[in-house]
Amino acid sequence: MSNLDDTEFLEPATLAEALRFMADESTRAVPLAGGTDLMVQWEAGVRPPPSRVLNLKSLPELAELRAEGDTLIIGAGITHAALRRSPLVRKHAPALADAAATVGGAQIQALGTIGGSIGNASPAGDMAPSLLVANARAEVASIHGSRTIPLTQFLVGYRKLDLAADELIIRFHLDALPAEYCEGWRKLGPRAAQAISKVMGSYRGKQEGGKVASFAVALGSVAPTAIRLREVEQWVVGRKLNADTLREAEERASAEVKPIADIRSTAEYRQWVSGRLVRGFLEHLASAG
Amino acid sequence: MKTVIRTWIVNGKKYTVEFPPMRRLLDVIRETLGLKGTKEGCGEGECGACSILLNHEPVTSCLIAAGQVPDGAEILTIEGLELTHEGQELQRMYVAKGAAQCGFCIPGMLVASYAHVTGDHPDNSDAALREAHAGNICRCTGYAKIIEAVSAAAERLSHEDEDDDT
Ligand code: FES
Ligand code: FES
Repeated sequence: MSNLDDTEFLEPATLAEALRFMADESTRAVPLAGGTDLMVQWEAGVRPPPSRVLNLKSLPELAELRAEGDTLIIGAGITHAALRRSPLVRKHAPALADAAATVGGAQIQALGTIGGSIGNASPAGDMAPSLLVANARAEVASIHGSRTIPLTQFLVGYRKLDLAADELIIRFHLDALPAEYCEGWRKLGPRAAQAISKVMGSYRGKQEGGKVASFAVALGSVAPTAIRLREVEQWVVGRKLNADTLREAEERASAEVKPIADIRSTAEYRQWVSGRLVRGFLEHLASAG
Repeated sequence: MKTVIRTWIVNGKKYTVEFPPMRRLLDVIRETLGLKGTKEGCGEGECGACSILLNHEPVTSCLIAAGQVPDGAEILTIEGLELTHEGQELQRMYVAKGAAQCGFCIPGMLVASYAHVTGDHPDNSDAALREAHAGNICRCTGYAKIIEAVSAAAERLSHEDEDDDT
């Protein structure tokens, strides 16, 4: 016996069929992809068993992964394992491939999906920072059609997305890494694998003649959602990559984030680490040129 | 209580099973298929004791709603793994290096080892081997002997590949 034995299991064969289930309140269901978050919560009774579940695993529309001009398109059903081994992702969004490689162990990577990670809307999700530095847009759909929203707006708040009850996340559109740009990913947690992060982040940047020509940086677990550090980004562009710039960028990054204290870390530690991460990214950028 | 019927290839043989679709794959493997080699440690995706190969990828079977596994899926559990050449080589090395103590984590650990040595171009550096087993927790061995065993098995298997080429 399991407490999920009475849950109705909906198996759409196509996205259109899935959206029809979502459109009607009498058939609307909890979308289930890799199950790495939801199955645990249901089995442990943290969340009550849902009356209906919608299996997303079988939808071919969520499984695409391709480059189209300067855009990398990643279906919501793409797993972390697929992201980390995809030559396309490695080339066009290396910080995303690196982030995918640090989610749980191999067994979790083979199950968890990028759509599930973003759909879970946790500030500690490992996928968001790398998507944010690639100016990612989320494409969502309902039976009325689809819309594409910048991820910065899609991530509304703590566990809150700009996603209506009848909509599903379909795919993400990323700006492919331009030539001469580089990226980096760092994650700090209690142990390297299989742990929820204390603070993590990504950057994408370009240097020219020892100066910062472009710099995007995003951190997770330092605010209700993963965020871009716009003030530091603007401040640092055009500056020389020297010790003064690194020091001041570190200070500014610590001041820009507004983390909370929780079971995994204190606010002070997260502020300090945020500054160190941004400094590390600039050092990486300096050594890349 | 509604059920679904699925036909899978389990350890190379065709099985048709019926179960409530939200049952964990772990429970269907242990209770419906009667394959008790796959263990439940945490039931939360943390320990890896329930690891199996699903379509050649290692997964924690405690996190999968069995209904999500479609017809035709290939499942390899410890019972099938130990019939393969790579599985036997790994077992031999686990024994030779003293890599198993209480044994509870070992079926899942071997699945992770097997996935690594049968993967494309496995990197057999110490760091890569540790990463390949990062999803598996062992309360007894301290991991060093497990990594040694996998390393030794990987070494022997890679020499066989060379022999094949000549
Ligand atoms: S029982 Fe599945 S990971 Fe522990
Ligand atoms: S040998 Fe006892 S848990 Fe690994």
